[in-house]
Amino acid sequence: MLARELFDLRSALRKQGIIFAYSGYVTEAVLSGVGDAIKQKLLFDDANTKTTRSVFAVFVEQMQNMIRYSAETAMTGVPAPSPDGIRYGVLTVGLENGDYVVHAGNLVRRADVERLRAKLSRIRDMNKEELRVLYKEQLRGDPGEGSKGAGLGFMEIARRASKPIEFDFTDVDDEHAFFTLKASV
Amino acid sequence: MRNLSIPASARTPAIDFDFGKNHLKLSGESYPEDVTEFYNPLFSALDAYLAELGPGRSCRVDFELVYINSSSAKAVMMLMDKLDAAASNGPTVDVYWFYDAEDDTMQELGEEFGEDLENAKFHLEKMPR
Repeated sequence: MLARELFDLRSALRKQGIIFAYSGYVTEAVLSGVGDAIKQKLLFDDANTKTTRSVFAVFVEQMQNMIRYSAETAMTGVPAPSPDGIRYGVLTVGLENGDYVVHAGNLVRRADVERLRAKLSRIRDMNKEELRVLYKEQLRGDPGEGSKGAGLGFMEIARRASKPIEFDFTDVDDEHAFFTLKASV
Repeated sequence: MRNLSIPASARTPAIDFDFGKNHLKLSGESYPEDVTEFYNPLFSALDAYLAELGPGRSCRVDFELVYINSSSAKAVMMLMDKLDAAASNGPTVDVYWFYDAEDDTMQELGEEFGEDLENAKFHLEKMPR
């Protein structure tokens, strides 16, 4: 019974082509460890250099987005890794019709949904050249209010992806929505 | 001034700023936990060195990066800006961007940085394998 429960979960993931699944609090140490395992797995799969680097690059940006922006946090004890606690996210890496797919999700504030949707729609609908121009513009520009990085993460993901990025939102409660972003490489 | 040498870690590149030889180099991967914490000492050391680099002098900077995350790209752009500004004051500054021939993403990124250099000389080359 005990083995069956977890085996069923594993089977459900495998059926969807998922190679890695992480659901929980995310930290920079998780990024390092899971990232290392992904690199090794891709090396074992004999994926080419560009594919390996792109899957890894998308993984890093997705993880850092969750670490920095997930709206689901837990306060942590001493020493605290960050002043506002650690954040919760879900990330999977899998294979879909021969493409590697990095799919990440976390809670966001419902008040931020429209801003995120507009930003992501614009990036999704751009071709590679338009993305290149926007990336350069943003590289020189202001990261924007509330950003904890360069404000380039979504663009980096879209540039590394071999297909348009996919994203979705679903309301969870009065204050929060669950946000997912999927990129194929 | 004292050279700046930092060995590579899993998430940060090796830094070899040999100011005596006017040869500076960054190599490896860059996706630090805290970009500011890693790059600020580099900015300070570079500022001090470039301030003394007058007309008639020359320096060479090699970027041999195989992967950088988006926050690091911003830091690299700031390094490039410092080098380009210094080159406008007389010294010759040669910037070499080496890319892995199997990953054109880093080649494109190099081209993008190179386009913005007005005074420093930009060289785009394949990494020797």
